[in-house]
Amino acid sequence: MINDVHVPQSAEAAVQLLQSGGVLLAGGTSLMPRLNDHASPPTELVSLRRAGLSGIHRTGSTVTLGAATSLSALQNDERVRCLAEVVRTIASPPVRSLATVGGNLFVPQPHGDLAVALLALDAELDLLDPDGASTQRLEAFLTEPVRSDQLVVRVRFTDPPPSSFRFLKAGRRRLNSASVATVAARIELDGPQVVAARVALGGLAPGVVRARHVEAALLGHPLDETTLARAGQDGLADITPRDDAFASAWYRSRVFPVHLRRALLGR
Amino acid sequence: MRDSLGLMGTKRGCAQGACGSCTVLLDGEPVVSCLVPAITVDGSSVQTVEGLADGNDLNDLQQAFLDGFATQCGFCTPGMLMSAQALLTRNPDPTRDDVIEAISGNVCRCTGYEPIVRAILDAAERRRRSS
Repeated sequence: MINDVHVPQSAEAAVQLLQSGGVLLAGGTSLMPRLNDHASPPTELVSLRRAGLSGIHRTGSTVTLGAATSLSALQNDERVRCLAEVVRTIASPPVRSLATVGGNLFVPQPHGDLAVALLALDAELDLLDPDGASTQRLEAFLTEPVRSDQLVVRVRFTDPPPSSFRFLKAGRRRLNSASVATVAARIELDGPQVVAARVALGGLAPGVVRARHVEAALLGHPLDETTLARAGQDGLADITPRDDAFASAWYRSRVFPVHLRRALLGR
Repeated sequence: MRDSLGLMGTKRGCAQGACGSCTVLLDGEPVVSCLVPAITVDGSSVQTVEGLADGNDLNDLQQAFLDGFATQCGFCTPGMLMSAQALLTRNPDPTRDDVIEAISGNVCRCTGYEPIVRAILDAAERRRRSS
């Protein structure tokens, strides 16, 4: 049940309202379904719609996304092509128009595929809380408990060369489906050899995870079927899949190596 | 919209953002209105299905739905129309895949979707011919 809705005009004003007990509302695609259930407790919302946190900027290869930028705005921006294919796999157009970049970082798995891509891209966050502004890597942020008085203001990453970014999301349907397995990776090759690998997974654990066993299996080896077969087996140590309405943990474990190979080799 | 403004075209379906029957255009973008507290869009443009027709004259998209038997029970129709309207405004010459993606958030339990997809492609063609 919604008690009140605040629409602050700045990030600082939003943080003040959060400090006094308000609940953050970004796109509302995760929060509002719970509030529309009338059994939810009385809630005072702090909307980010007018807080000036939308916008996409690019300086050189550095891309900065305002936390309240909608997924549809991101999908349609020619300057951030690597994430357009990611966003296209998320929900449907009327949801993408509302859902935000920052909100996607908090969406429970098996949703939140943009967060998987941003983890593979080693994104950095600008944060604001009552103590002031700070910066934190997304990887560290995802391992810490969510703070109710902290705001993600911006997300920043280096746009990868097109051939180095890989993304694949397997769902029950081609469009508008939660993840059965999501793989995002930034791979650098020197000839056939993998010289740098950063791999993130979604749908395969309670949260978004970095696949360090997969990365270790790739490094120093050619990016081929043999290496991917080993990486798929080693990567089982990176995942802790769960049963849910979309797939069983057993199924996810069985198909993970296949989707890893398809993501990184394209076949 | 339904209770205060009497605009009964927009349907309340799942209230979870999953069925698309409440889709309206917010500043021209399709949104599931069940997830949008009204006060947060003060000052924005909101177009419901009532905004498509000119009095009793259906717009080309509505006419294509009617001609193509793209409605059955009609519950999903307003949301379908608004998703399609957003698509055709942005992309006057959509492919079949573009249409399928545009209505991927709109659930229809009657038609099997095919007549709806054909009607949207038909409306696009009508618009291109008349422009």
